Amino acid sequence: MSSAVYFCDNKGKPILSRRYKDDIPLNAIDKFQVVLSDLEEESSVIPPCITHNGIQYLFIQHNDLYIVSLATSLATNIAEIFTFLHKMMDILGEYLKTVEEESIRDNFVIVYELLDEMMDFGIPQITETKMLKKYITQKSFKLVRAAKKKRNAARPPSELTNSVSWRAEGIKYKKNEAFLDIIESINMLMTQNGKVLRSEILGSVKVKSRLSGMPDLKLGINDRGIFTKYLDGNNIGVNLEESELSSKGNESSITSSSGKTKTNIELEDLKFHQCVRLSKFENEKIITFIPPDGEFELMNYRLNTMIKPLIWCDMKVKVHSKSRIEIFCNAKAQIKKKSVATNVEIIIPVPEDADTPTFKYSHGKIKWVPEQNAIVWKIHTFPGGKEYGMSAELLLPSINNEEEPKFKRPVQVKFQIPYFTTSGIQVRYLKINEPKLQYKSYPWVRYITQNGDDYTIRLS
Amino acid sequence: MAPLDKKIKKFLKNSIRIAPKISDKGELAELRTGLVSQYPQTRKDAIKQTIKQMTLGKDVSTLFPDVLKNIATNDIEQKKLVYLYVMNYAEIHPELCILVVNTFVTDAQDPNPLIRCMAIRTMSMIRVDKILEYIETPLRKTLQDDNPYVRKTAVICVAKLFQLNKDLCIELGVLEDLSNALGDTNPMVIANAIASLTEIYNLDESVVPLPTLIQSHFDQFLNALNECTEWARITILTALSEYRAVDSLEAQNIIDRVTAHLQHVNPAVVLATIKVIIKNLGIIDGGQNSDLIMKKISSALVSLMSTPPELQYVALKNIRIILEKYPEILTKELRIFYIKFNDPLYVKLEKVEILIRLVDPSNLKQCTLLLNELKEYSMELEPEFVSRCILGLSQLGIKYSDERFIQKVLDILVELLESGQDSIKDDCCIALCNLLRHCPTNASMSKNVCSLLNAWTSPVTLLQQDSAKCNYIWLMGEYPQHFSTLNDKIDEFVENFSAESTLTQILLLITVVKLHNTLKGSVLQTVLECATHETSEVDVRDMAMIYWRCLSIDDSSALVSQLCNLHAPVINSTIDTFSPEVLEKLLSQLGTISSIYFKPMDDSMRKQLQHQNIIKGKHFDELQSLAKNELESKNNDDILLDFDSESVNQNTSGQNQNNNLLSDLDDLFDFGATSSSNNNQRSETATEDMNKLSLNNTDSSKLNATSLNTDDLLNLF
Repeated sequence: MSSAVYFCDNKGKPILSRRYKDDIPLNAIDKFQVVLSDLEEESSVIPPCITHNGIQYLFIQHNDLYIVSLATSLATNIAEIFTFLHKMMDILGEYLKTVEEESIRDNFVIVYELLDEMMDFGIPQITETKMLKKYITQKSFKLVRAAKKKRNAARPPSELTNSVSWRAEGIKYKKNEAFLDIIESINMLMTQNGKVLRSEILGSVKVKSRLSGMPDLKLGINDRGIFTKYLDGNNIGVNLEESELSSKGNESSITSSSGKTKTNIELEDLKFHQCVRLSKFENEKIITFIPPDGEFELMNYRLNTMIKPLIWCDMKVKVHSKSRIEIFCNAKAQIKKKSVATNVEIIIPVPEDADTPTFKYSHGKIKWVPEQNAIVWKIHTFPGGKEYGMSAELLLPSINNEEEPKFKRPVQVKFQIPYFTTSGIQVRYLKINEPKLQYKSYPWVRYITQNGDDYTIRLS
Repeated sequence: MAPLDKKIKKFLKNSIRIAPKISDKGELAELRTGLVSQYPQTRKDAIKQTIKQMTLGKDVSTLFPDVLKNIATNDIEQKKLVYLYVMNYAEIHPELCILVVNTFVTDAQDPNPLIRCMAIRTMSMIRVDKILEYIETPLRKTLQDDNPYVRKTAVICVAKLFQLNKDLCIELGVLEDLSNALGDTNPMVIANAIASLTEIYNLDESVVPLPTLIQSHFDQFLNALNECTEWARITILTALSEYRAVDSLEAQNIIDRVTAHLQHVNPAVVLATIKVIIKNLGIIDGGQNSDLIMKKISSALVSLMSTPPELQYVALKNIRIILEKYPEILTKELRIFYIKFNDPLYVKLEKVEILIRLVDPSNLKQCTLLLNELKEYSMELEPEFVSRCILGLSQLGIKYSDERFIQKVLDILVELLESGQDSIKDDCCIALCNLLRHCPTNASMSKNVCSLLNAWTSPVTLLQQDSAKCNYIWLMGEYPQHFSTLNDKIDEFVENFSAESTLTQILLLITVVKLHNTLKGSVLQTVLECATHETSEVDVRDMAMIYWRCLSIDDSSALVSQLCNLHAPVINSTIDTFSPEVLEKLLSQLGTISSIYFKPMDDSMRKQLQHQNIIKGKHFDELQSLAKNELESKNNDDILLDFDSESVNQNTSGQNQNNNLLSDLDDLFDFGATSSSNNNQRSETATEDMNKLSLNNTDSSKLNATSLNTDDLLNLF
């Protein structure tokens, strides 16, 4: 349990705080700054938890802020605290847009109110933004008149402590719609000669619900993981899916070289939003839920299959010591001909001391970004099956020590491929049922595949 | 038109804002005028200003009476701010607090639940006896409130009150109410009641029978679990992990009921669930069932790797604990722990720890994959990371334990040495020596390594860390025939004798004695003199004295030759492990801070905490920090005693071992204290320490040493 939460500036000086328990001295936070800088001097390994004088400083960083939680007991649940701090930043983000020193200082009233409501005596309480917004009014400047008129407006919604604590009653929309976004992020680590060392698909199903009343939703996906793993194969639905899939022709993205047949692909570690009835899923493999209003992430999953690189870059780097460096890059979109990759960015590291770049390229734009010590090749649209090339030459300072130029960083690739999922996951249906209102509703589905935060090619 | 007129007037009055007058009496005076203004909006602005000053750390406590005047208001926001102010400064003005008590008591009966909550919440946070005297009625009422939102707040207030005034809390009898709240209909009230009880139990075990309560309310907990917020789930799951299942059937039932929570999006829920499952896993009938559970845990652990870095760090530390109990759990998931180039350094280091432990030593393909991966990492730029990876290479080699594989590792290390800077020489030296100690019989390998290290011109200045120097010296003592410039190197080390650390001195002493027949000149004499005169370290001096005597006994040739032919035992693993008791404790504390430091909480620590909390009054804070200082310094002393002065990280992880190690050492010293053969053990154990052996090896060395000891005794008499 957390004894206090402090917002500190980028040097570790406190700007706003809320003490939840009385078991730590007031000046404990002043030590944070000292301990942190001592630690930084000593080594570059700075773990997110520091002990000093028997007090535990647990912190995360967000923009120019340190958010520090203090605790005394070693029995404190550290996973809970870190999760809470991150969640708190999400919520503040929804109230203040960007959360940084400036905005915390400007909106201290609202921050105090939220801190008061989200945690009590170091125990996290309510962190559903939609519900908090009901009784923690958004504007920090409010006329007395408004408060008087709706005298009893700011009450805790009764749903807060209900089993459906994330949705208020009486929501109304003229047009009832639900939007589903299926986003797959690809993390991949490749060697220069094209060998895939590690690859994973991180999928996320995001829902934007604009539905009236208390709708009960049922989501059907073709996830073979769920069905083939737990139900027997003669299920009609599954067979149907299989045929549908093969007609879609996803083979291009899933290598058969690893000897795995498609049916072996399983969605691993499904994670659900708290609105999903977990026990129902556990027993019947059906995803049912009453959605919170607005946007939220319904579920995420991870797939650990070997896939071919979607955007492959054939890199050649020649270093002519003491004079110049030459870089050749051949990028290829290894996706279906019908698909198009957009906003492709290939970020190629160059030595820190390189200068005067010259480029030759067929498509897109190339820029040298000295701050990042990299050249960035942007290609707006990159149709499947196409192959584009570029070459760059940068001069190196003539005075150079024996060592090889250091640019051990990998090549990074960013991209988006709309209307396409690498795993082949598809939404079969989204049934919306509101028992009282019985309205007509419209579900919309979008698919997109993009790079994850680690789609890299190692230069050897 | 009169009413309208009135309305307009009222509206004007309410919305008028008076710009604060700049007075020469300073800011406080300005605020004071604002706080007592006749216009509500102006007053509110002034309160906000006051709070702002408070936030900035300025002392605005002198405004206390003026702020208090604003507490009776219908504006909730304003009320909140005043409450916040009161909470902060009440202790400075205890005599004025009596003025607010009335408002608190009335507010606790307000029709708006939000205000009821605020009142009771604030009231129970104020460390002023006058206020606490009045808390009884409001607290009792709110504990029985119709609104669950109020009840969930009130149950926590009991713990707050307990912390502030234990006797009062017991006297009021609210603890029984709190225990009854475990049977509440609302899951959130149940969860907060558990949290509150846990807190009280940690402060004083004697007042609430928490374990019995958990045993008896276990069904309610399981039922509440599916219908509450994520935070409440964590609390309930943590309580469930304390529950002792009566038989395998019940344990199975618990596992079945909680397993679904492995799929919760909140990583803390997932970890708490794993804790419950592991607790019950030992009780159920194994077989296929537990395989399936293992699979589920495994995939849940893997999913924790796609969380923010701080949580990954927690997860990695916990995985290390779980892996030791269930080594087979993640073997197929090696790739998940590959380093991402934008991982923070502390995550990278932990990932290497996991990779080394995870790799299956019977799987050549996997080992080779990891070997290449580690090689790649060793060429990165961050020194701490590179150093860990080089050590990792040697750990991997020793783990796979095949000479051809070790040769591969050696080749990589040699390659690194050739291309790299001086900074990696330390680590490479240690890694190479560790590998040699694993296969001491391989002659060509030792020859290659020695000739490579022999080429270094001045190891004394080249090597920075003590352990690297020790390893280098040990190597010279072990394979003197491969060092062409042995004499020069030893001379150089000896010249520097007094500047070296104790560890290096001891090893230098051992090595010189060992080689005294081959070394030229009077090196032996010099070292013995240095060690007896120029150092203040008792260990070194004692050791030198004993050696000296051994060497000067008339017919000691047998003893001396035995001394010189001692070899350090073979290393079988350089991966740290926990002792079984520590491991069990850590498993029951997954997700807590102690699981990050690998320092399990035990009852004595809890008692100490309780003791500290009993001291009350004004000087509480100072006393506490004093006591903590003392504890800290004691801890430091402990650490000073540790032989391997590694980084903090290793210290904490190695602490448990070191404690054991120390006791082992003590045993050894006691046993042979009277006989001169004491040396053998010392030299033995010293070399041990330098090479950072794990527990198993110390045990073997103990056996080794004791057997030697008896031999020597026989020799002597």
